[in-house]
Amino acid sequence: MSQDIIALLVKALWETTYMVAVSSAFAALAGIPLGVVLVTTDKGHILENLPLNRILGSIVNAARSTPFIILMVAIIPLTRIIVGTSIGTDAAIVPLTIAAIPFVGRLVETSLKEVEYGVIEAAQAMGATPWQIVAKVLIPEAMPSIISGLTITVISLIGYSAMAGAIGGGGLGDLAIRYGYQRFRADIMIATVVILIAQVQIVQSAGDYAARRLNKK
Amino acid sequence: MIKLSQIEKVYKSGANTVHAIKGIDLNVERGEIYGVIGKSGAGKSTLIRCINMLERPTSGNVIVDGQDLTAMSDSELREVRKQIGMIFQHFNLLSSRTVYDNVAFPLELSGKSKAEIEKEVVPLLELVGLSDKRNQYPAQLSGGQKQRVGIARALASKPKVLLCDEATSALDPQTTKSILELLKDINRKLQLTIVLITHEMQVIKEICDKVAVIENGIIIEQGSVLDIFTKPQSNTTREFISAIINHDLPVIFADTKFSPVALPDSTLVLRLSFIGHSAEEPVIAGMIRRFDVDTNIIYGNVDHIQNTPYGTLVIEVSGSQQGIENALNYLQSRNLGIEVIGYVARHNRAAG
Repeated sequence: MSQDIIALLVKALWETTYMVAVSSAFAALAGIPLGVVLVTTDKGHILENLPLNRILGSIVNAARSTPFIILMVAIIPLTRIIVGTSIGTDAAIVPLTIAAIPFVGRLVETSLKEVEYGVIEAAQAMGATPWQIVAKVLIPEAMPSIISGLTITVISLIGYSAMAGAIGGGGLGDLAIRYGYQRFRADIMIATVVILIAQVQIVQSAGDYAARRLNKK
Repeated sequence: MIKLSQIEKVYKSGANTVHAIKGIDLNVERGEIYGVIGKSGAGKSTLIRCINMLERPTSGNVIVDGQDLTAMSDSELREVRKQIGMIFQHFNLLSSRTVYDNVAFPLELSGKSKAEIEKEVVPLLELVGLSDKRNQYPAQLSGGQKQRVGIARALASKPKVLLCDEATSALDPQTTKSILELLKDINRKLQLTIVLITHEMQVIKEICDKVAVIENGIIIEQGSVLDIFTKPQSNTTREFISAIINHDLPVIFADTKFSPVALPDSTLVLRLSFIGHSAEEPVIAGMIRRFDVDTNIIYGNVDHIQNTPYGTLVIEVSGSQQGIENALNYLQSRNLGIEVIGYVARHNRAAG
């Protein structure tokens, strides 16, 4: 394999890592609160607010059912407002983040619902405020499960980022399509796939390890 | 200390209405251990949750230590809840926190400093006998130890009242006993008022001063534990008591027909119950000495409710009709519980 190809692979690996890391971070930042709101405003929960719950739920469903490639194109104006351009790696982060937020929201919702209501009740009986219940009971108790959810999110984003090539985002998936597929370069195709497999493997193992360390059950 | 008046709780879900509590009055004095016993679905869980307003009653008043909880805002309620500890059947500990941090939790909620927390948690762990487990996680503890953590956590905010929601129902009999002893101990040491709900009469017998029997959302009987045990009024109460005190007739009477009035040449079967000091009076010997009757003891049992001895005897009195009648009058004049089971024709009980 020539120096040029190695340089291409390294650059693509960096682009994928960069896009996925930044969009995962933003998605977690917005998705965790979204999950908290989805759970706590549900029927019988600490901040029951059914209209808000239903509206948020519908928005999440709508966002999740939009194919990523469509979403990416559809929000180009928004991308332009946020990063100033609609082309390139930075521009790809916007649709990746927006696609991941409802995904994280639902995963966090599921994690938080696994926290036994008895524990919340116990905190209420001790005079905890709703905010204290969220910060000191719900999230810490669900943390291992939230970490597992975030791991799944990062891996899904690695997959989604392959489509970022459509708006010039670069990355491994883009490299595989342009060189491996369109130019019949089987060696580059195999190399990108191997790197992607390794990347997913590392993320999964790290996530599993963190979740296991945090799990005291 | 706790005064519930005319508590009602109605759950509505769509067209379904469930009347869980139908007008309950309850009065718990300071320092008392008050037990509420009922079958599942009787409303006892809802009732105990009304005391700290985890369930807001549909109507009625909840007054704890002179404060009307039903009239309070959410933030006032949160403050007052800090004076009402609660422990649960399934412990409800935070699995991500160590024993120490679980007990520290309510203090953390009140914004206490690390040093203050340490000063209060350490003696509490000592009180419940878990000092050596302070850095373990709940998953590493046995059920009894988990409940001890629950108790220490409930006591951390120095409550005046402790609510126990089926606190021993998930524990084996031995562990139940040790937890009940701990509760009794803190009741005495800290002058803590305790309200507990349970479906086990054993728990009531072991530690309660007073008991209320709840069924279908109303209290069907209440009073001192001794009174309820010795003079149960309702079938439900009798059923609960029969789990620990035998009120059934001995098996040998299974096929026997009893007559409410004396028959010629019959014997009289009686159940006597002795409470406290009357257990020490030799009534049977006195009866035999005074009247020309014979006595056959068919069943006997002595039990202790709290520290009061409580004995039951089933006896068969035989002799002349007049003698039996005199003996019965004599027994009725003594200070003991007496229940006439009936007269049996003598040939029916030839073997006796």
